[in-house]
Amino acid sequence: MKTLMGLGAAALLAMACAPSAAGQERTAVKQGFDLRSQSGKRVLVFKPKVSVGSQSTGAMFEPNAEWTEQAKRNIEAALTEHQASLGNTVVEAPDASGEKALLVEEYVNLFDAVSQAVVNYQFFVGNRLPTKKRDNKTGVFEWSLGEGVRDLPGADTADYALFIYNKDAYGSTGRKLLQIAALLGPGIAVKSGEHKGAAGLVDLRTGDLLWLNADFAMGGDVREADGAQKRVRQLLEGFPGSVADQQTASAQ
Amino acid sequence: MNMQIVRFSLAAALLTAAPILEMASANDFRERGKAAKLSASAVSITPPRDWNKLDIRPGKFAETWTLDGEQLNDVTFYTGVEPGAPLVKERNKKRKPLPKFGAETLLVEVPELLEGTYRAYKEIGEFRLTGSKPGSYLGVKGVEFTYDYTDGDQIRRQGEAHAAIIGGKLYMATYDAPKIHFFQRNIADYRALISTAKIM
Repeated sequence: MKTLMGLGAAALLAMACAPSAAGQERTAVKQGFDLRSQSGKRVLVFKPKVSVGSQSTGAMFEPNAEWTEQAKRNIEAALTEHQASLGNTVVEAPDASGEKALLVEEYVNLFDAVSQAVVNYQFFVGNRLPTKKRDNKTGVFEWSLGEGVRDLPGADTADYALFIYNKDAYGSTGRKLLQIAALLGPGIAVKSGEHKGAAGLVDLRTGDLLWLNADFAMGGDVREADGAQKRVRQLLEGFPGSVADQQTASAQ
Repeated sequence: MNMQIVRFSLAAALLTAAPILEMASANDFRERGKAAKLSASAVSITPPRDWNKLDIRPGKFAETWTLDGEQLNDVTFYTGVEPGAPLVKERNKKRKPLPKFGAETLLVEVPELLEGTYRAYKEIGEFRLTGSKPGSYLGVKGVEFTYDYTDGDQIRRQGEAHAAIIGGKLYMATYDAPKIHFFQRNIADYRALISTAKIM
């Protein structure tokens, strides 16, 4: 047992020293977009999409309803606490039912897909799509959910919408052992666990993505209240017009 | 740790490491107005606008072009699928076999072939063919059909496909995109793209 733990520690140390994915960016703002703190803009916040589960030895995601429910409560509570620092009028999206509720769900899922595409094909420089690479030479960040966002419940009462997506898969014991064996055997780095999150600000007139903060290696155990606080702080880091953002800007 | 576990571990590790290696490779540029050949075939496409070809291919006979990522707009070309072959690579031949294109497959059966492939490959339960009619692809008579489905990411997607059987082999192009915004935004780009496809 001691030997296994020793090997585990060696493996984890080696992984900690391994270089991270080169050229990985985390945040982008649409050109020309600027949001001042207390500018009177209204930001509509939709309930975050949260899923939590475990990662099997073969890397399959196995959802855990209890963890997901706990994480939802923790993240929503942390978000409510964090709202005051966002610097503008934050309004919770009205409760929707029937077709409207389905529409909200579809847009939250679409935001998830768009943010994953941004991470895969724009933020990850080594994998950037050639058309995006060409555009990026002139600093273009252009992604949109489309003008249909105007039909979202509460859209007519706000300027922007804030979408949040969060997925955590905690590595099972088998996955952790595999991580060690793979590193010590063929020397392959195997990830144990997955902690992805994205927060995005969307223009409620055009559907354009104005700001995105996305990371596929986030910190904070969302099953715990403290961890969820940390996660929400990370998700909203650099939120345009937030109090912290304005302080950073004025310091420069 | 017994040998069986070690063997499984290494196989799983390699499988998991594969996407990392693929992610590190560059996707190809398909420049407007420049003819490009589809993988291992005599089919040529001259894109009317800039496109990207993804390095990750769904199978021996298939390649994917996109504007913003396969999640948002996915044009897949199936080129010269031989009788007895599936449209995409089978992940597990025994436990999750895919339907095969056959020497007896008729054009009218091609939509069903795609449906069966999507149901098994994407592991989705909801797939609906919304229309099918005679059409043309690669300058010969073929079939044109539309469909919608909900993928594993819970996004409703719409699709349009054009297929033809030439020399006993299947040639097909499909366009899949989220129903919200993306399908309508790029359907004309897809149609313009495939209208330039020809066999050299």
